[in-house]
Amino acid sequence: MAEHTAEESAHRDALEPTTAFAPGGGLTSRIKRSNVWRSMFRHPTLDTPRGRALQSFSNFFLHLYPVKVPARVLRLRYSFRLGFIATVLFLILVVTGVYLMFFYTPAVGSAYGDMQHLRTSVGFGQLVRNVHRWSAHLMVLVVVLHLARTFFAGAYKKPREFNWVLGVTLLLLTLGLSFTGYLLPWDQLSYWAVTVGTNLVQYVPLLGSSLQNLLIGGDQIGQATLLRFYALHVAVLPSAVVLTLCVHIWRVRKDGFAVERPSTGAFEEEATAVPAPTAPATASSALYDGRTRVLGVVDRESITAEERTVEDTVFTWPHLLVRHVVVALGVAATVLALGVAFAAPLRGLANPNQTPEPAKAPWYFAGLQELLSHFDPLVAGILVPMGAVLVLVLLPYIDRNPSTVARERKVAIVIFSGLLALAVALTVVGTFFRGPGWHFIAPWTHWYVEL
Amino acid sequence: MASTRREVLRTGWKVGGACLAVAAGWTLFESLRPLSRGSKGAVLELGDPTNYPADTATFVTEGRLFVANAGGHLFALSPRCPHLGCRVPFCDSSGRFECPCHGSRFDLGGEWIQGPAPRGMDRYDLQLVEGVLVVDTSKLSAGPDRGAHDYLTPPKGPACQ
Repeated sequence: MAEHTAEESAHRDALEPTTAFAPGGGLTSRIKRSNVWRSMFRHPTLDTPRGRALQSFSNFFLHLYPVKVPARVLRLRYSFRLGFIATVLFLILVVTGVYLMFFYTPAVGSAYGDMQHLRTSVGFGQLVRNVHRWSAHLMVLVVVLHLARTFFAGAYKKPREFNWVLGVTLLLLTLGLSFTGYLLPWDQLSYWAVTVGTNLVQYVPLLGSSLQNLLIGGDQIGQATLLRFYALHVAVLPSAVVLTLCVHIWRVRKDGFAVERPSTGAFEEEATAVPAPTAPATASSALYDGRTRVLGVVDRESITAEERTVEDTVFTWPHLLVRHVVVALGVAATVLALGVAFAAPLRGLANPNQTPEPAKAPWYFAGLQELLSHFDPLVAGILVPMGAVLVLVLLPYIDRNPSTVARERKVAIVIFSGLLALAVALTVVGTFFRGPGWHFIAPWTHWYVEL
Repeated sequence: MASTRREVLRTGWKVGGACLAVAAGWTLFESLRPLSRGSKGAVLELGDPTNYPADTATFVTEGRLFVANAGGHLFALSPRCPHLGCRVPFCDSSGRFECPCHGSRFDLGGEWIQGPAPRGMDRYDLQLVEGVLVVDTSKLSAGPDRGAHDYLTPPKGPACQ
């Protein structure tokens, strides 16, 4: 084996794990040098470019991130971190949800009692339920904002069409998660909100009645419904969210970051442009003998935003990761503060014979309920929401305008803003301005809002 | 041109996969579909018709239904709003059924008066057998269309909502 020069050895020592694990006699150092430690953590913490890259490559969680990101990604106004905030909220929901599962039985006879037990006899039970509830509400809100931000930035355009579809899927899954969780306390609020929500399904042409029966497990909401919603809430939908989220995040890396160009203010694709394919060398070429030899195939997808000059990029660790940790702590503090300040409501035991006044759907469906009070259920309950989802899914394929500059997308932005404003207005009216009998009421005269 | 062995195999995989997906979907649907749909309901005796005075509606707890007397015509009405399933209480002051969810209103015969409900209140099969009212709660028929106003009377007083 060839001998290394002193310079080569020093360079190698600075990089290679065999020697870079800190020498020393301390207990920590000895643990870090042990085979057990090194079987789990293959690379030491090195404050060098290669060390940071190694850390990202060898750590499962860090591997979710690219090694380097465009420097402009670090700016808060780049994305307002909305996608990351939604992910953090989902993690908080998983943790608090698992805690709540220890104290809850999905049975009509005991569910409501479990809620009271949680409130009165379980340490931090009420607080964890409050945090769970607030996180769920915030997650719906943040996912909607994330979708709106992505639209206004034009970040759904090529090559991110499919990731936009995944994002819309995640929005629907989030709504499904929140709605299925709504029934679990089995109080008047949850029972009637879910009654209103599930009765919408019966207006689906031809299949409505069968679908409603399938969803609630019978002719009316009861034990079968509670068990179905529980299974969907704790197993089916969270699994679907995790799977979709993984692909969603993976595609962000594959499609490259939509980075704002300071010159135009537009978000443009940063992936390297692919030159038009050229024909093989002509037969007259001395190198071409009539056969094509493939030396290597480089998928366009592999050439992503990471291929840029050194000046434009920064290491994910620590620059982006530190910011994410701060945001995650901020989100956790926010939901904790909300949980301390505002308790999750619990009305009386569900009574199938008495509808409370007013009976409102969860706030994110209040706009739909408002619409239902004006139009035929087939229109307001089925055609409008399904049409909206269909348009959202197809949006990147319908919108052929390649520009992401706001002034060149006036029509799309005006239409989207108008529809968004309409949805917000309907939600606000349905949530705050409706009282018993769905009569118009000023919220400052009587408060009929329960989240 | 004849298909190659590879093309036949590929098509076979696709067809087989599609069959499996359909079979799995159908199995899932059948296993989750509620089995007992026709077992609900019972025949109840509601007593003498004179127990239900004119222009009133009485809730029968046992059958979870209203017996309404609209100008001498008796109806057994389902309290479930045909709009979105809320329970519709009877308002004594107005003499009408008023849905608390979206404000649908029905007259004593369960006919639609206003609101987003697509039809009148559903009716159970009600018969007079040897002087006794008998209702069969397994037989529920859809309420009258919106246009019907056979039992509409002016409101007795202010609405409850």
